[in-house]
Amino acid sequence: MFSFRYVLRETGQNLWRNILLAVATVVTVGVSLAMFGGFMLFQVAVDSATARWQDGVELIVWMNTDVGTDEDASVRNQLDESPGVERWEYVDRAQSYEEFKEFFEDTPEVLEIFTAEGVPPYFRVVPTDPDPDVVEELGSQFKGKPGVRTVTFAGDVIRDVQNLSNRAGRVLFIGSIILLGASTLLILNTLAVAIGNRRTEIEIMRLVGATKWFIRVPFMLEGLVQGLLGAVVAMTSNALLRNYVIDQFSDADGLQLLAGFKVDDSAMLQVNLLVVAIAVGVAVIGSNLAVAMHLNE
Amino acid sequence: MIKMEKVTKVFKGDVVALRDVTIDIGKGEFVFLVGPSGSGKSTFIRLLNREDVPEHGRIFVAGRDIGRLSGWRVPYLRRNIGYVFQDYKLLQKKTVAENVAFALEVIGKGPQVINRQVPAILELVGLSRKMDRFPHELSGGEQQRVSIARAFVNRPLILLADEPTGNLDPTTSVGIMRLLGRINEIGTTVVMATHDSSVVDSMRQRVVELDRGMVVRDQARGVYE
Repeated sequence: MFSFRYVLRETGQNLWRNILLAVATVVTVGVSLAMFGGFMLFQVAVDSATARWQDGVELIVWMNTDVGTDEDASVRNQLDESPGVERWEYVDRAQSYEEFKEFFEDTPEVLEIFTAEGVPPYFRVVPTDPDPDVVEELGSQFKGKPGVRTVTFAGDVIRDVQNLSNRAGRVLFIGSIILLGASTLLILNTLAVAIGNRRTEIEIMRLVGATKWFIRVPFMLEGLVQGLLGAVVAMTSNALLRNYVIDQFSDADGLQLLAGFKVDDSAMLQVNLLVVAIAVGVAVIGSNLAVAMHLNE
Repeated sequence: MIKMEKVTKVFKGDVVALRDVTIDIGKGEFVFLVGPSGSGKSTFIRLLNREDVPEHGRIFVAGRDIGRLSGWRVPYLRRNIGYVFQDYKLLQKKTVAENVAFALEVIGKGPQVINRQVPAILELVGLSRKMDRFPHELSGGEQQRVSIARAFVNRPLILLADEPTGNLDPTTSVGIMRLLGRINEIGTTVVMATHDSSVVDSMRQRVVELDRGMVVRDQARGVYE
């Protein structure tokens, strides 16, 4: 039978006895998870800003809001028959309005002006050849066609943003994985020191008949507490990143692309849950390794 | 209470610690294990507590073959066996009462049991007035009394003592042996490894002598040599 009070007291004492090492562990876990969280948040923000331009979409054919059935069918036929088009996707007025609402959710004054009828449907087009000249030539075939309002291209800015995001993301991801490995080892090391400090207690516990799990649980809980405190550091960092960096981008005037550079509440929750899950994973692995290596009953 | 049948224990490098030992210790007996250093006394005690397992032979404690005990049952075996160390192994940051209570706490006993049994056992070992002292405030003999109180607080069937008077002067040793004698009179089986001839000679209890891992003498009401 476990005494809840005993386990809490022992865990607290373990942490307090090794306070410097425990703080170092929490900071390392926190920094690595903050890097990981930052990587995730920037990915979410870039995906949000370039949502229409994912999966190789290089040009968008915007239709008039009052486009007729014949005009619509004519564009579809041309897209089907054009050898320069690999595939295309139609985004109807309702879907387009949903995207529009999501894009401008932070600016209700814009949403008040537009209704679903005021938002145009469009075709997302993936060309067979992404070369800018070829894409521009392809787009020019649709410009001026009846029912077509305009044609827009992904352009260098969007591709640059996506490429930069991918590269920075990779660096952050690899860095955070390395640091998470270091965090696991640090938790292992902190617990090894804690176990070493309590060797006499552990020996007595074993000889008076304490069960294996009774001896192990306070140490494992210590690792878990360190991991979760690290997660709290990372979640604080995530909140600061979102509120003071990412949201500042989206408030910048004159940069339409950055208007969509944001992280909504549900994405934020998902990132934070992932951060907690990884913190628990790191703590469980570190703790288990420590007790397996240093608490051999 | 304790039965060994042809027990052999070999350590790394083919060092034979016990060789073909057969012995039977009844309930409530007081047995001294004597013999030179390296004769196998400590191994004998470690085997009874399942800290080690023999290469050959069987060991029964309270009718149960402890060699066949699965790992998760070992702690429950140990709850029936008290263990007294030569160097006391007291926790320096805990008081006398806390050191004794620790043994109950880690086997899941609640505050009610602890509050009842700790003062009672401290009364038995004569340390009621010092229950709030820390180990460094006690003499060697008093520290060994705390160690015995901790080993006996759960009222085990067997008390194992490995050189309990090894660090004590002769006068203090007499007090410790009286205490172990009282615990034995209550019905507890006591097995004590010792080098202390005066203690063995004064008690006149059963003496088992080991030499190079073998039982060379088993004498009721014996003396050291």
